[in-house]
Amino acid sequence: MITDSKGAATEAQQYVWGGAIPLQIHLHESEVTTLPPPPPALILAPRVGYLPLLVPQIKPFFSSSLPPGVDTVWFEYKGLPLKWYIPTGTLFDLLCSEPERPWNLTIHFRGYPANLLIPCEGEDSVKWSFINALKEVRSNFMSAAYIINGNCKNIMNMSQSDQTELWRSVLNGQLEAYLRVYSKLKLDIVGDNFSLKLNTSRQTNSENEATGTTKSGEIQKFMMLVASRESEVQSGCKIPVRLYVRTIDEDVDELEDAPIVDSWENIYYINCPVEIHGEGKAFSLNDAIKALLPMLFTEEASVDVDSQAPESESGEVSDGGSSRGSQKNEESLSAHTGIFKDGAEIKLVRIQGIEPRLDIPFGWVAKNLMNPEQYLHICIYVKAVQP
Amino acid sequence: MASETRKVVIHLRATGDAPILKQAKFKIAGSDKFVKVIDFLRRQLHRETLFVYVNSAFSPNPDELVLDLCNVSCSLYGILGDEIFVIRQIY
Repeated sequence: MITDSKGAATEAQQYVWGGAIPLQIHLHESEVTTLPPPPPALILAPRVGYLPLLVPQIKPFFSSSLPPGVDTVWFEYKGLPLKWYIPTGTLFDLLCSEPERPWNLTIHFRGYPANLLIPCEGEDSVKWSFINALKEVRSNFMSAAYIINGNCKNIMNMSQSDQTELWRSVLNGQLEAYLRVYSKLKLDIVGDNFSLKLNTSRQTNSENEATGTTKSGEIQKFMMLVASRESEVQSGCKIPVRLYVRTIDEDVDELEDAPIVDSWENIYYINCPVEIHGEGKAFSLNDAIKALLPMLFTEEASVDVDSQAPESESGEVSDGGSSRGSQKNEESLSAHTGIFKDGAEIKLVRIQGIEPRLDIPFGWVAKNLMNPEQYLHICIYVKAVQP
Repeated sequence: MASETRKVVIHLRATGDAPILKQAKFKIAGSDKFVKVIDFLRRQLHRETLFVYVNSAFSPNPDELVLDLCNVSCSLYGILGDEIFVIRQIY
């Protein structure tokens, strides 16, 4: 993600980081020990934040009503225990088909459902999960050239103080501070490659070279781009995506009538890189969704496969590894095919609370709507067809 | 087309004071979650707390599908083929 060459935030990034969901939090009735029960707590939850981070603010509202015992805090929405490591904004987009404001959540301080949720010990667990997601991105999605050069070690060995600073910026929702650490650590290799690549699709190559070489700070990055181009498919920038799919029965006309999600088993989830390809023409959000859920595009499948074939061939020529990877991708996705019945269609695509037009370039979506751990979280509602 | 139960080979390597397993490679269904690997190791090693890393680099969320992990990890490393290298470390 991130930044133009100066490291400044885009307008969209500022909106994403500034975005918050008003929560109305109720203490679960089984934990109310006072009469009258405590009133609900109203609190603003940042979209890019995580629910457990709000606990220090919420606790004072309920602490006098709690039964004795040790706190093991978890949140619930209409009977579904919420996964704490999914960003709050994504949970809201996924579970509230029709955005509900304030969003009514139930908080529990006792009886952690350890069989359903990964244990969470407050901020440390969230930080650990965040840093690991970041590392997952760093280790898996950097350009092949970068890994071969052995430079990825530098990035993985982020110093403790930088790590703390990065985490603080997320904790406090400070986009500027976040971008500062990013540019300092040169964590934005993917982003820069990728914005240069975006430029390429808009400008001619020579123009791109000019912008790359005139700014002295850019030279290194430009060399990196050249190196990565030699070893990769030209446009083979990979965007890490976490995709959540919710299925809705055919007979539900309005999204607000969609039945509540009562189990995570009903959410189809993929963690998958999407490769941006197609030089010369913009790779759109629609193309990305096609790559993620090919089984939902059966009608156009033959056309689609034809248009993608040249890219995978060029991939073979330049780099065996990456083309093998994309084959694996297809296998992995086709392994999921049974999930959707024939005729299922996409009803809604929601990213950061927005329902973007499907023809906008996926590169723009990734750059601007990514979460701080560099994953793009996409929620999709699919209308299932009854057999 | 791949079958729905694609198997992934997992190669386990010990680090830190983790004991070495007699058998280092295991097959697991790609559709299983990573938590299954962790639970398996817990049982094998009789330890409650353990850290499991992929490619010595990151510790995935237990909810992730093994196939997805294999897929993202191998797609760029290329050389690793089917295997996820998991290093476990026990404190």
